[in-house]
Amino acid sequence: MNRVLEKSVTGFSWICAMVLLGTVFCIVGYLLIKGLGTINITLIFGETDPKDALFFRKQVFDGLFPAILGTFALVVLSVSFAIPIGFAAGIYMAEYCRGIVKRIFSLFFDILAGIPSIVVGLFGFSVAIFLHNYFSSRIYPCLLISALSLAFLVLPYLIRTTQVSLENLPEDIRRTAPALGATKLQNIFHVLIPRSLSGIASGVILSIGRCAEDTAVIMLTGVVATAGVPKSVFSNYEALPFYIYYISSQYSDKQKLLSGYGAAIILLVICGLLFAIAFFIKHRLTYHVLYRP
Amino acid sequence: MFFTDHELNFKGYNNRFMENKVKIKIDGLSFSYGEHPVLNNITARFSENTITAIVGPSGKGKTTFLMTLNRLWESIPEARIEGKVEIRFSDRFYNIYEPSYPLPRLRRLVGMVFQVPNPLPMSIYKNVGFPLKLAGLKDRNHISMKVETALKRAFLWEEVKDRLTDDALALSGGQQQRLCIARALILEPEILLLDEPTSSLDAGAGAVIEELLLSLKSRCTLLMVSHYLDQLKRIADTVMELSEGKFISGFAGDEKNIPPIPAAREGEK
Repeated sequence: MNRVLEKSVTGFSWICAMVLLGTVFCIVGYLLIKGLGTINITLIFGETDPKDALFFRKQVFDGLFPAILGTFALVVLSVSFAIPIGFAAGIYMAEYCRGIVKRIFSLFFDILAGIPSIVVGLFGFSVAIFLHNYFSSRIYPCLLISALSLAFLVLPYLIRTTQVSLENLPEDIRRTAPALGATKLQNIFHVLIPRSLSGIASGVILSIGRCAEDTAVIMLTGVVATAGVPKSVFSNYEALPFYIYYISSQYSDKQKLLSGYGAAIILLVICGLLFAIAFFIKHRLTYHVLYRP
Repeated sequence: MFFTDHELNFKGYNNRFMENKVKIKIDGLSFSYGEHPVLNNITARFSENTITAIVGPSGKGKTTFLMTLNRLWESIPEARIEGKVEIRFSDRFYNIYEPSYPLPRLRRLVGMVFQVPNPLPMSIYKNVGFPLKLAGLKDRNHISMKVETALKRAFLWEEVKDRLTDDALALSGGQQQRLCIARALILEPEILLLDEPTSSLDAGAGAVIEELLLSLKSRCTLLMVSHYLDQLKRIADTVMELSEGKFISGFAGDEKNIPPIPAAREGEK
C-alpha cells in the first residue's frame, strides 16, 4: 500500500510537470504556426526602408517598429526605476528591519503585490491628470508615467525576492566576514549580496516579464495605437501588448489578425532577449565581484 | 595577583601562569539565549602563547564561549551577556565590551576559524586578501606580500602558489581549512579562536593542521574547541572542560591521565 502511494505521488508529480511543459509547448507552437508566416521585414518596418527607420530618418507608419521600441524603452525604464528601490527596500527588510515594524511592512508589501494592475493604471492616470492640472499643463499620460506605474507594480516582487534570498543565507556565511573584521554594511555588500545574486536575478527577470506583458497599466497611462517612435519620455508611445490587444479586438481583415500573432512572437523574443541580458549582467557582476584577480 | 583565585587552582594550570603573562581575563561571565542559560558565572584566565583546548558535551556552549571573546554572538537575537572580558593588547587590558572599543578592530585582533571551512566563493588570492580589503588597504604590492606570508604561515603556499586565481572552493577540505586559517592570520591576530578546526577533515589533513597550530603558538594565543582526546594530548598546553555552563576542571594537556571526557551530563544535577 505504502509502495503504491510512493509510486503514485511520484507519477502524479511527473504528470503535473508534463502538463505544464506541454501547455508551454502548445502555446508557443500555436503562436509559431499562426504567426511565423507573417513575420517579415514589412511587418516590422511597413513601407519604410529599414535603414531609414533604424536611424530614425523616417517614421514607420504601418509596421511594428515603434511598438517594439516602445516596449523596449518601457521595460528598461521601469525596471531601472524599480531595481534600486526594490533592492534597497529588500536589504532593509532582511537586514535592518525588526519586530513589529517588519510585520507591518511585510503586510503592506503583500497588499501592494495584490493590487490589480488596472488599479495601478488608474492611479498613474490620476497622478498624470493631477500634475497636468496643478503643476504643468504640458504633462499628460506618457512613457514616463507608464514606466513609473509599472515600476510601482513590480516593486513587491523585487523587494520580496531580495529579502528572501538574503534571509535564506545560512548563519555560517553571515558570520564569515564579521569574524574577519567586517562592519555590517561591508558584510552585506561583500558577502551577503554576492551570495544571493541568483535569487535577486530571478526577481529581476520576473519583473521584466511583468513589465513587458502588462496592458492594463499602460492602456490608462499613455499608450496609443499610432504614435510612432517615442520622441521623449514625455510623449505617447506604442507597445506590443497593447498592439496585440488592439488588433484582436478591432481587426478589419484576417491578415491584420495574423499580424497580431506575429507581434506576440516578437514580444516573446524581446522578453527572451531581456532575460538573456539580465543573466549576462548577473554573470559579469558575479565574476567582477568575486573572481576577478 | 590573578592566580590566587580559588577557581583557578587547577593542577598544572598555575605552573603555566608562572611562565607566561595573562592574555585574557574573564570575570563573572554569564550568557543566555532568551530564557535558556548557556554560560554561568565563568571566571578564567588564559595565558599568552599557549594552546588551550576546551572540551565538554555538545551543545553546551563551547562555541558560544569562543564567540564571547570576539563578540560574534551579537547578531543572535535575544542573547544576553553579563560579566567582564578583558584582553591585553600591547600591555594594557581592554574591556572588549566597552561601547567605545571598536568592534572591527577587536575582530581583527581576535581571529576565528570555524568547524566547517568557510572560504568565500572567490579566488584563493581574493579570499586571503579579503580581510585587508575590509580594512581598507589598497596598496597592491603590500597586499600580495601579505597574502604570500599568510599562506606560508598556514602551510599552504607551496600547494597553491601556481594557482592563486583558482576558485577557493575547488580546494580539498584540509586545504580549505588552512586557507581559512591563512585568511585569519593575514590580519596578524593576537588571539586565534578555533571551533573544532579538524572535525570535518580526515586524519591526514587534521594532522597537518595540528602541526600548523603548534607552529602558530609563538605568535598567537590559541583557544580551541576539540573533541579528540589524542589531539588534546598532542597539542594542548591546557585542557579545560566546560559543562553546565562552567569550567569544571582544568589540567595540563601533556598529563598522561586525562580523564575520559563525559559524553553528556544532561542528567546530572
